Amino acid sequence: MSAVWDFMTRTQGRGGRLTWTDWLSYGYLFLGFLIILLPVLWLGLNSIKTQFQIESQDLSLLPGDFDRVARATVNGPDGREIFVIGELPDWVLNWSDLSEEERADQDVAEFLAGYDGNRLYALRSHLGQVSVAARRLIAEEGLPDWLNRYGALTPTAREAFDLDAVVAPLNEDQQRLLLEYLGQPPYEPNRIVTQALVTAPNPETGEVMQWAIPNPNATSEFFPGRAVDGSIEGVVRLPADTVTATRNVSPAWENYAEPLAGDAFGLTIDFTTCITNSVLVTVIATLITLLINSMAAFALSKYTFKGQNFFLVLILATLMVPATITLVGVFKAIDATGLSGSIWGVIVPGAATPAGVFLLRQYMLTIPDELLEAARMDSASEWKVFWRIVLPLALPAIAALGILSIIWRWNDLIIPMIAISTNTEAYTIQLCLLAFRGEQVSQEHYRLAMTVISLIPTTLVFIFLQKYITTGIANTGMK
Amino acid sequence: MALLELRNVKKSYGPVDVIHGIDITVASGEFCVFVGPSGCGKSTLLRMIAGLEKITDGEIAIDDEVLNNVTASERGLAMVFQSYALYPHMSVRNNLSFGLENISTPRDEIDQRVNEAARMLQIEDYLDRKPGQLSGGQRQRVAIGRAVVREPRVFLFDEPLSNLDAELRVATRGEISALHKRLGNTMVYVTHDQVEAMTMADKIAVLRAGKLEQFGPPLELFNAPANRFVAGFIGSPKMNFVKGTIGEGGAFVSEGGAEVQMDTSRFNLRPNQAVELGVRPSHTSPADGGIPLKVRAVEQLGTETFVYGSVDGAEEFAMQLSGQVNIQPDTVQHVAIDAGSAHLFDLDTGLSCSK
Repeated sequence: MSAVWDFMTRTQGRGGRLTWTDWLSYGYLFLGFLIILLPVLWLGLNSIKTQFQIESQDLSLLPGDFDRVARATVNGPDGREIFVIGELPDWVLNWSDLSEEERADQDVAEFLAGYDGNRLYALRSHLGQVSVAARRLIAEEGLPDWLNRYGALTPTAREAFDLDAVVAPLNEDQQRLLLEYLGQPPYEPNRIVTQALVTAPNPETGEVMQWAIPNPNATSEFFPGRAVDGSIEGVVRLPADTVTATRNVSPAWENYAEPLAGDAFGLTIDFTTCITNSVLVTVIATLITLLINSMAAFALSKYTFKGQNFFLVLILATLMVPATITLVGVFKAIDATGLSGSIWGVIVPGAATPAGVFLLRQYMLTIPDELLEAARMDSASEWKVFWRIVLPLALPAIAALGILSIIWRWNDLIIPMIAISTNTEAYTIQLCLLAFRGEQVSQEHYRLAMTVISLIPTTLVFIFLQKYITTGIANTGMK
Repeated sequence: MALLELRNVKKSYGPVDVIHGIDITVASGEFCVFVGPSGCGKSTLLRMIAGLEKITDGEIAIDDEVLNNVTASERGLAMVFQSYALYPHMSVRNNLSFGLENISTPRDEIDQRVNEAARMLQIEDYLDRKPGQLSGGQRQRVAIGRAVVREPRVFLFDEPLSNLDAELRVATRGEISALHKRLGNTMVYVTHDQVEAMTMADKIAVLRAGKLEQFGPPLELFNAPANRFVAGFIGSPKMNFVKGTIGEGGAFVSEGGAEVQMDTSRFNLRPNQAVELGVRPSHTSPADGGIPLKVRAVEQLGTETFVYGSVDGAEEFAMQLSGQVNIQPDTVQHVAIDAGSAHLFDLDTGLSCSK
C-alpha cells in the first residue's frame, strides 16, 4: 500500500517540492481520471433510479424521489372539487404500483374508516373499493342483478331499466356509492395523483407552509401550488426560488433484480440467456482467435518461406478496409454457410483478426531464434516448439490480444445484428440492450441497469489480465 | 561413441559461398576445436553439423550414416549455445528434462538422469529456480547440463565461454575438459580463442574465410604450422615475421641486410626466393651482432620480460626473455634468432617452406 502511495505521489525531484510540470502532470492525470470515471458513475447512479424518476427526466444525481403528497379530484353534485390530502402512508400513495400480495397485506377497510366526506370518496376510488362496496350493497339490499351489468350496457339497452326507481329508496350515502359505481353523472370517477411536497412561504402573508406542486424540476419561474392543509382555496403561484423540496434516497434495485430473474415487465427476451450467449461467444471466439492468430504469427515471424512478405502485406492490407465496407459480404457469407441465427455466426467471422496477427508477429520477432533452435536440438517437434516455447514466451502479447479480443467480442453490436437478430434465443448482450427500447415500450430503467451489468466482465478481465501486459519481458533468460 | 565425418562440405547463401569444401574426420571420443577469426565460418559449420543450417553440397555423416536430410530434432546431437538459450519460462529442472520428455523417456529415468547431471555440474541447489535468477556461470552449467542429460552421440559447443569473465572462463574450461574425460563423447567445440583451443583440444581445425587451413593436434599446429596464417594464429604471444630473401648458401637475408643462417636441410628453398622468417618471441635473445631492434616498449612481468619494437622487414617484433632483463626503451638492441626453431614462409603463397 505504501508502495502505491509512493508511486502516486512521485515528483520530479528537487527535494520533493512540486514543480510546474508536476502540477501539469497531476492535473492532466486527474482530468483523465474524471473523464473516465464520471460517465461510469453517472451510469451507475442512473441505473438505480425508478422508472418514474427516469421518465420524469429527473436530472438529480441520486436515485430517489421528492416527498410526495396526494392531490385528489372528487366529482359530485357540487361540481368538481380538487384538494390535497396530507399525511397518507406510503402504501396508499404507491397503491397502483403494489402487487396483489402487497395489496392483500393492507387492511383497507380499517384505513378508510378513519376518513369521511370527500376524502373518503377520493380514497375509496383510489384504493379500488367502490365496486367492492357497491356489489356488497346490491347483495345486502336485494337490489336487482341487472345493476351489476348496467355500466357495460349501451344507452339504448339501458332504457329497458328504471335506474331512478331503484336508487330512490336508498339513503344518500348508498345512492352516491351506487351512482359512482355506475359512473352516472355527476359522479364521474374520482382520482388521486401524487404531487411533490414542498415548503414555501405564502406569497401573500409570508407564512411558511407546505404545498403540493406538480414537478419541482420544471424550469418555469412559478410553480402552481396547493396548500396542503387546505387553508387556501385554489392554486397559488409560488415563485420558484422560494420553494424548498426535500427528497429521499431510495435505490431501485428491482431494475437489476427483475430482468435478471426474467420477470421484467414488457420484455419478451431473457437477459440471463443473453449473458450466457455473450459469455459463450466471447470465450469461444477469443480462444479461436488466439490460437489461429498466434499460429499465423509464428509462421510469419519464425519461418522463411516463399511469399512470406506477400502474405504479411495481404493480411495488413485488410486493415485498410473499413469493416462496414465488407458488411454485406460478411452477411451473405454467414447466410450462405447456414450460420445465420446461431452464435457461431458471430464467432466464426471474427476469428482471425489482422491486427492480432500483426501484434503477435511483432512480439514473436523479439523471441530469440536460438531458443527455438535449442528446442529443436532437444528433439522438439515444430508443434512442440510452438506450443511449449513460443506460446509461453509470447504470453504478454497474447494476454494483450486476449483482452482486446474479449472487449471486441463483448461489445460488438454490428456482427450480432447481421448474424443473429432473427433469433432472440441467440441474442448477445448488446442486442438485448437494444431490445429494451422496443417499438411500443421503452424500458430505460432496465436498460441502464443491464448496461452496468454488461460492463462488469470487461472490467474484471482488465483487472485480472493487465499484470501479464507488464511482466514477462524482463525474464528472457538470455545473457 | 560416434565417428563424425565432414566430406567436402559446402555452404552458400545464394551466390555467396561461405564454406568452400571442408573435409574433417573427428574420431570417436575426440575433442575437436574449430578455431578461427570471426567470420571464418566456424559457427556455420557447427550449425550445419547440428542440422540448424542446410548443407549446400557435400556430406556430413556420423558413424557412416549420412545426416544431410535428417532434421535437427532427429539427429540426436546436443548443443550448447553461446547465449545459453535456456528456456526462460521453465525451471532449471524442466530445462534439463525438456529434451528427454520430447523423446518419450520414462519419468523415473528422466528424474534419475536430471539428478545425476545436476550433481555432476553442482547445480542441484538451483533446480527449482528460473534461469533469470541464476548467475552467468550457473546458467552456463545448466546449458551444459541440458546437453549432458541427453547422452548425445556428439556434443556441440558454440563459443560457450565467451560470456564469462576471465577467471570463470579458465575454471569452466577445465571443467569441460574434465567432463570430456569422464563422458568420453565426441565433442566439437567452436571458439575464436586459440588459448582455449590449445588447452582443450585433441585436434584443432583452423579455419579462415570458409577454408580449412590446417587440421591436427595442438602441438603439431604449434610446431609445424602449414602456413603463415596458422603460424600467426596459434601461439601466444604471436610469432614474429620478418620479410626478406634467401641469399647464397641458404641464408635468410632480411630487408635491412641482416643475415640468419638457416638449416637448409629442413626447407625447400630456391635462391632469391622472397620469404618471411617466422620466429616465436621466446626463440629470440639479445646478442651482439644480431639483427638491430629499435626498442619501443618494455614490459617487466617479474618472471619474464617482453621487449617490443621494430626491425627492418618487420613493423612489429617482440622478444620474450625469462627473468628480469635491463633494456631501456628508445635504444637499439641487437637480437639473435634461434634458427633451429624458426620457420620460413613463401611471401607470395604464405605456405610453409618446411620439408
